[in-house]
Amino acid sequence: MKTGIHGELLKIENLSFTYEDGNNVLQDISLTARDGESIGIIGANGIGKSTLMKILVGLKLDYTGKLTVAGHEVNKKNLNHIREHVGFVFQDSDSQLFLSKVEDDVAFGPRNYGLSEDEVQRRVTEALEKVHATHIRDKHTYKLSGGEKKLSSIATILSMEPDIIIMDEPSIALDPRNRRNLIGILNELDVLKIITSHDLDFIMDTCKRTILLDEGRIIADGDTNTILRDKELLETHGLELPLSLNTR
Amino acid sequence: MNELHPLGKLLVSVLYIVLVASINKYDIVTLILMSVYLVFIFVIGDLSFRDGIYRMRLVLPLVIFVGIFNPFFDKTVLFYIGKIGITTGMLSMLTLVIKGVYTVLAAYSLIITTSIDDICYAFGCIKMPKIMILVIMLIYRYFGVMAEEAGRITTAYSLRAPSQKGIHYSAWGTLVGQWLLRSMDRAERVYESMLLRGFKGDFNTVKKKVKKTDIIFPVVWIVIFILIRWRVIL
Amino acid sequence: MHMADALVAPAVAGTMYVLSTGTAGLSVKKVREENDPKKIPVMGVMGAFVFATQMLNFTIPGTGSSGHLCGGMMLSAMLGPFAGFLTMIGVLLVQCLLFADGGLLALGCNIWNMAFYGCFVGALLIWKPFMKKGASRAKIIAASIIGCVLTLQMGAFSVTIETLLSGITELPFSVFVATMQPIHLAIGFVEGLITAAVLVFVYEARPELLWGLGEETTAREGKLSFKNTIIVIAVLAAICGGIVSLFASAFPDGLEWSMEQVAGTSELEVTGGAYETAADIQETTSLLPDYAFSNSESVLGTSFSGIVGAIVVVLITVGACYAFKFFKKKEASN
Repeated sequence: MKTGIHGELLKIENLSFTYEDGNNVLQDISLTARDGESIGIIGANGIGKSTLMKILVGLKLDYTGKLTVAGHEVNKKNLNHIREHVGFVFQDSDSQLFLSKVEDDVAFGPRNYGLSEDEVQRRVTEALEKVHATHIRDKHTYKLSGGEKKLSSIATILSMEPDIIIMDEPSIALDPRNRRNLIGILNELDVLKIITSHDLDFIMDTCKRTILLDEGRIIADGDTNTILRDKELLETHGLELPLSLNTR
Repeated sequence: MNELHPLGKLLVSVLYIVLVASINKYDIVTLILMSVYLVFIFVIGDLSFRDGIYRMRLVLPLVIFVGIFNPFFDKTVLFYIGKIGITTGMLSMLTLVIKGVYTVLAAYSLIITTSIDDICYAFGCIKMPKIMILVIMLIYRYFGVMAEEAGRITTAYSLRAPSQKGIHYSAWGTLVGQWLLRSMDRAERVYESMLLRGFKGDFNTVKKKVKKTDIIFPVVWIVIFILIRWRVIL
Repeated sequence: MHMADALVAPAVAGTMYVLSTGTAGLSVKKVREENDPKKIPVMGVMGAFVFATQMLNFTIPGTGSSGHLCGGMMLSAMLGPFAGFLTMIGVLLVQCLLFADGGLLALGCNIWNMAFYGCFVGALLIWKPFMKKGASRAKIIAASIIGCVLTLQMGAFSVTIETLLSGITELPFSVFVATMQPIHLAIGFVEGLITAAVLVFVYEARPELLWGLGEETTAREGKLSFKNTIIVIAVLAAICGGIVSLFASAFPDGLEWSMEQVAGTSELEVTGGAYETAADIQETTSLLPDYAFSNSESVLGTSFSGIVGAIVVVLITVGACYAFKFFKKKEASN
């Protein structure tokens, strides 16, 4: 649900997180993000991207530091507010779509917030329109193709009209055409988007700002074009130039 | 058929099965008459008898096993066809098999014309707890995903273990165990996905509108069932 | 193990429905009291998992055959009795609704035979006592095998009782039992081995996922419900035993027959001891087998003409339905 906050929707100050086994996955992370921004978070496997995402949506609360989302501090008391404002698209669409019909799954969130049925239907239509997938409204989730599953799971988040959408590896397992389609759709959305991915070309096409993480710290934070062209920086942190820039 | 209110269909199907099962084991006439319902549903609903009968391959063996001894223990001769004496035991075995066929076909016609969501909706109408309904829907949803995974596991296994029937006992624990842990992780993600969309342990659905035919259908059939079952006609 | 609709009389089915829904109601209440919404998706996904494992075939060592998992005991060990029971109901319902595996009418029986024993007896009487003083590989293996064998035996025995009470078969009690129990002994043993292998793996990889291992959490609420369940199970056992002896004596011919056929003469004499009461017991039990709504005697006078008449009625209906469909299609195309 829209807050009408224009400005700092997300504010992270000195955030750290340690797992029970003593693994410091995140250390001293600070960043702010504003309405309408698109931010790519990149880094090698296992450096804490997913953990950071889970903390942002309030699935892991035992962090240290200060974290404010849409004007609310992330803690147990505020969870309901936080979840109204933040949507999270899982990497695995099958975990996200748990009801048997697309329509019902997209309506699940709005119905949980007790909206009237007319409003729920309006939201479902609008969300499916935004991902250009109105034709699959009546389809069964288990009959969808991989691309359709991804679009439906994004729609299940859009129907909640969040201020912030966080996506975990959205381009994974998509064929080139579905991937291109998804890039177009994401660029049409005007909310704050935070996307994690190993697919640097995908980040290149969807995000203006990029944050590079390694060993739990922010290594670089800035313009996508600058960071993704810095071959040396990428290679020291376990990544490679986007294929489109690799002219060899 | 498909558009009828699921509660009416569930009610008629269950009543039909109960009445068929209650018919006396020698009363073949009533049993034959009871088939009119199945004929109606299958013909009007354009259902395939063949598919329905195919469903019975799992159920019928036990039914036949249970009934096959009747002719040997119950030998009172009822009447003769030519030189062959028809005994009560033969009759009761026949009615048992017919009952088996009827009840499976009735259940089949319900399943095939009603989606799982609709059946769950009907369960909701008869006040089945929401926890149960949600669990049923989740099982139904994830059965497909899991079955695919089971298929992949067996393929991956058998590709590296040719000439082996099934899974060797040395791999039982690790193979299924790994899969179980992955399933638990999935359950965790599903839960998170529900939570992030405002799930608080409750589950909401839309009410279906009741049409005229939704009432006429069950009422007419219930009347017909009663007429046949208690032999008001014939 | 799944019973078909045709095998149960409505009275038996109704009784089992009442018992099963009663237990389910109690379980829903318990799961609600736990107020752990996290359990719901776990129940759903675990249900689907158990359902899907039935598609895997396991080679049984030393034989040429293979078996599959049934899952009641495994659900108990992962979810505890109440959530496990509800999950198993979910599995049975979906099986019944998806594959017509086990009928709608027989569902109450199937829930009782497979879910009740597997989850309540399995979890409370076997799994929990075994794990009370901490778990170990050996204990998990023992609990799994004993649990699977015992609960499956109880289930198979219930199938026998329910079928006989329904008056469907002329099969003598002893023959039925002598067929059902050994088959399910073998099945139970294999299932126990598979369950043990899986649970040992889980215990070594992620022990926190197993139910009832933490002593402090279960001990407090455990004591009361444990005692209660023992009482309930004891009462049930007494009832079952009573019914068995009724039937054993109600079918004296069958017993004699099977004594010669199956076991030799001496051993079974104990069970057949209640010969004297056979006559009046037969009267009481026959109330159930011949349970029907009305005029059950007159049907024996069934004649050829009656059958022919019935077939004619059905044929007319077939014709009428096709005619109806034909005209409807015509209407639609005009």
